[in-house]
Amino acid sequence: MPKDHQAGEAGTVRRWLRPRTVAPFALVGAVGIIGLIAFSPGSAHASSTATPAPVQATANTATSSQASAYVSSNANPPHLGGQAPSKQLGLYYITLPRSYIAPGAALFAANCSTCHGPQALGGTKAPNLQGLGAGTVDFWVSTGRMPLANSSIQATRKPPRFNRLQTLEVSAWVQSLTPGEGVQIPVVNTSLGNLEQGNTLFTLNCAACHTITGAGDALMDGAYAPTLHLATPTQIVEAIRSGPGNMPRFGPGNITNTNARDIAAYVTKVLQHPTNAGGIGLGGIGPVGEGFVALLIGVGALMLVCFWIGDRA
Amino acid sequence: MSAEDDHSVSPLPPAALDDPHLQPYARRPEAAQTVAAVAMVIGFLGFIGFGVSYWVVASTQWQAATFGIGLFGFGFGVTAWGKYLMPQGPFVEERHQFHSTEAERDAMTAAVVERGGMVVKRRKVLGGLFALGSTAMGIVLLFPLLRSLGPKPGRTLFQTNWKKGSKAVTINGRQVYEEDLEVGGVMTVFPEGFEGSSPDQVILIRLADTTQPLSAPGRTSWGVAGYVAYSKLCTHLGCPVGLYQEQTQQLVCPCHQSVFNVLAGAVPEFGPAPRPLPQLPITVDAQGRLRANGTFDQAVGPGFWERP
Amino acid sequence: MIDESLRWVDDRLGIAKGGRTFLDKIFPDHWSFMLGEIALYSFVVLLGTGVFLSLYYVPSAHEIIYHGSYLPLRGQRVSEAYASTVGLSFDVRSGLLMRQAHHWAADIFVGAIAVHMARVFFTGAFRKPREFNWIVGVTMLILAIVNGFLGYSLPDDLVSGTGIRIAYSIIESVPLVGSYLAFFLFGGNYPGSGVIIPRFFIIHVLIVPLILLGLLGAHLGLLVKQKHTQFPGKSKSERNVVGSPMFPTFMAKTTGFLFMTTGVIFLLGGFVQINPIWQFGQYESYKISYAVQPDWYMGWLDGALRIMPSWEWVGWGHTIPLEVFLPAVIFPGIVFNIFYTWPFIESRHTKDLAYHNLLDRPRDRPKRTAAGAAMLGLLGTVFFASSTDVMANFFDLPLMGVLWFFRIAVIVVPIVSYFLAYQICNELRQAEGLGKRKRALAVTLTESGEYRTEESEPRPGDGAGVELEPVPVPAFIDVVPPELATGEGVRRVMR
Repeated sequence: MPKDHQAGEAGTVRRWLRPRTVAPFALVGAVGIIGLIAFSPGSAHASSTATPAPVQATANTATSSQASAYVSSNANPPHLGGQAPSKQLGLYYITLPRSYIAPGAALFAANCSTCHGPQALGGTKAPNLQGLGAGTVDFWVSTGRMPLANSSIQATRKPPRFNRLQTLEVSAWVQSLTPGEGVQIPVVNTSLGNLEQGNTLFTLNCAACHTITGAGDALMDGAYAPTLHLATPTQIVEAIRSGPGNMPRFGPGNITNTNARDIAAYVTKVLQHPTNAGGIGLGGIGPVGEGFVALLIGVGALMLVCFWIGDRA
Repeated sequence: MSAEDDHSVSPLPPAALDDPHLQPYARRPEAAQTVAAVAMVIGFLGFIGFGVSYWVVASTQWQAATFGIGLFGFGFGVTAWGKYLMPQGPFVEERHQFHSTEAERDAMTAAVVERGGMVVKRRKVLGGLFALGSTAMGIVLLFPLLRSLGPKPGRTLFQTNWKKGSKAVTINGRQVYEEDLEVGGVMTVFPEGFEGSSPDQVILIRLADTTQPLSAPGRTSWGVAGYVAYSKLCTHLGCPVGLYQEQTQQLVCPCHQSVFNVLAGAVPEFGPAPRPLPQLPITVDAQGRLRANGTFDQAVGPGFWERP
Repeated sequence: MIDESLRWVDDRLGIAKGGRTFLDKIFPDHWSFMLGEIALYSFVVLLGTGVFLSLYYVPSAHEIIYHGSYLPLRGQRVSEAYASTVGLSFDVRSGLLMRQAHHWAADIFVGAIAVHMARVFFTGAFRKPREFNWIVGVTMLILAIVNGFLGYSLPDDLVSGTGIRIAYSIIESVPLVGSYLAFFLFGGNYPGSGVIIPRFFIIHVLIVPLILLGLLGAHLGLLVKQKHTQFPGKSKSERNVVGSPMFPTFMAKTTGFLFMTTGVIFLLGGFVQINPIWQFGQYESYKISYAVQPDWYMGWLDGALRIMPSWEWVGWGHTIPLEVFLPAVIFPGIVFNIFYTWPFIESRHTKDLAYHNLLDRPRDRPKRTAAGAAMLGLLGTVFFASSTDVMANFFDLPLMGVLWFFRIAVIVVPIVSYFLAYQICNELRQAEGLGKRKRALAVTLTESGEYRTEESEPRPGDGAGVELEPVPVPAFIDVVPPELATGEGVRRVMR
């Protein structure tokens, strides 16, 4: 370093230490952090490139020929009215065509059998899939969690490897191993959903893990409750019924078919499109984000004003 | 003490016109004036804009933008006026000693001690009665101030509304049957007739589809049909322990992340909670309805002094 | 006109003499003296917006059916408190702006108090004769935090209700009287007999603000009586104050600052959403959301509760929930007692009984600065510990690991902060010429390849105001003769 430059060092250090010099950087940093929080899709676990597959639309097409094939075992228990899922209810289950089974078997053999075994009976690395039903498989595959990218504590949501048809084919093959068992693939008509009911049920059953805004949060042992901001109505009902990973399982005796429809409607219509009437939503993480803004932007900006007003002595 | 020290305003000569103290701080006052003027015009327009946006019921953002920018612009202009265009100074003010002289202090002390001594010491009885009376008044005033506020705890902290045979119902008063929960399912239940009651909330978990006894050693008869039931009140601070991690069989308190082991009688494994969640013994009646088979063997919720 | 009115008033009240002194009161020009004004003006905004809110808010736990304009809640059973808060957010014109501005102002209020207090601490402005004002200030900080918590609790939404539940359990944790206090305050076992919302309301809108206003008057009154401190400098001594006069210079600047503070608060109030209670829903004691945190100024208590080990003391038929009592009662008690007694601790330690009107530079008092840094390190660590779950989720870290990190950091960080600050102070003091106002140095490369360092051009204020000898504020200024006003060389005095 040239000598003359060093001569100015005392001045440089001083300038760096002056609040007036540091403050703009702090403010820019603060804005950056807030921006990160405000505009991130939810959390580190949600891949920002993930585009939700058009589950509902395709599922509707896939079932147009099978619309009458309901799975009666999914009805509410008798003391809850015994109401079966139906189109009128806004929630019904599809039976996948037999023609899907053969291509599904091929896809499974090529992509899944290494871990889950040729007959989906599981192995040391992966669980038995028999009896889980098409809905469970559809949930894991359509959210991109399966096939697993790397072995971490919890499978991460990512863009799905299979397209909608392939997903249904694999689901159909797994379902064909144990006909009638497990969770079926639901079709949810959220426009019939009761948002007020969905709100009540969500705060009672879901918010303890997924947070009240559906943003998700960290659990024990490196697991986490994922954000719900990317979930489709079908995936929501599949998750309620099958309880993927650490999530509890809610059968129709606990969350009835009507309840499940209302929750799906509340999540997709309200939580995914929150009424942020007050401005930037800050990612729905509550007072943590607000504290950052208050201290770094609010007090920070006013301190900058102080530097300007008081810069005289 | 100089004359300055008694807050009198010494007559000052009119300042000379070319006194540098009276020059504006700005090197180019005309430019500074323009800046201040523009800012204050922005402020004025912002205020008008707020009025308009209120009148037409514009969104919160419009109202904030107009009013906020108006206020900030106006304030910026006024401050710039003060900072750049008013006499730059520096001006000085002498500090005055505000404490009293020794003589004044002595006089005050003497007044207190001697006058007080004169009237109190001569009338010791009255002085004592005054102290007694005012103390009594202070103490009895505390009675209504504190005691009227609420009831005494009594034994209420040790009691819940769960009794042997209480039917478990959901928040909507719906009876819970044995087949309602799937394995890995979880539900918040209350004793019938006390739906929503805070101390009575119980978290019902179905661990297995079995008739085998479950849960901690010595408590295996407390569960039934794969069900166990724990008080939902965290033993740390009373938050509802609503977070059930099904794979690891843990109940987690969302407030301060206390972790309870569901399989081992909800003993705390991590976090600040000191005690296991109290377990409610349950059974299934002939109609398949879940009922309490007793009550909690200890107070639910966070710790307190009277707890043994 | 003014002359006559003043005469009329002065005949009756005799204000002219004191008024003139007040107008001539000198305020030192330094940015750090404006920090308290952020707090003062956010308090003004709090009062204004608070009056607005109180006209619509209904302090009642009585249950009604919500019929307002937010669809997902329509038909739900909610308390009148919650319904009216959602109502004033959606169905009262400008209501949401006022509510959010009120909440931001509260967050900024406490933040500004903290920053102002740090300034006062690190520059030694609390020393004799200003101990009273320090104590008044600490009391106002506590009241601001308490009132913030109360106000945050009023909407009766799920997140704030969880906070009230925790507050109940903290009161309950006090040995001997805890359960009695909790029962008295809440009117029974939690959630009590529905009295807590109206009680919090009257404390929030009347009792605490009244005390705060009184203390604020005392704070400012003492400031006027004892006069400002100032940093050492040319012509500045223990016996004078150098700066700008109250009227007109300071009045213009501070009035402008009032507007700017209000402007920032209202901009935040309309553009950054705070506490969207309609998303949280009505509080029920059996409902809970993950990722619930209190407002930031309560975060340090929440963090202390989180990282505390589960040490409950049981014996002789009694229980002391130390895992609650220590972090939530004893810890803040110790912190605020240190705050209260610091001026006396320090003067006892330094045996310094003199008046101090000239401020210290933080580096010149390395031990005090280091102690302050340690306290900031401690409070900062427990503050960040209140967001362990959000951090673990956001940065994809194991939750227990984050918690253990904070359990260790809460001991390590204050110690490291102390020694680091001490070392920095000493090194800064040894460095020559640091901290003196100088012109910027420009390094240029000459044609021959040599570097040359030159002082840059003087900036506004560099040589003008500072170099002048300060003078008393003149009584009046001559009218500018027209020939001079336009002439070269003499700048016109703007009045």
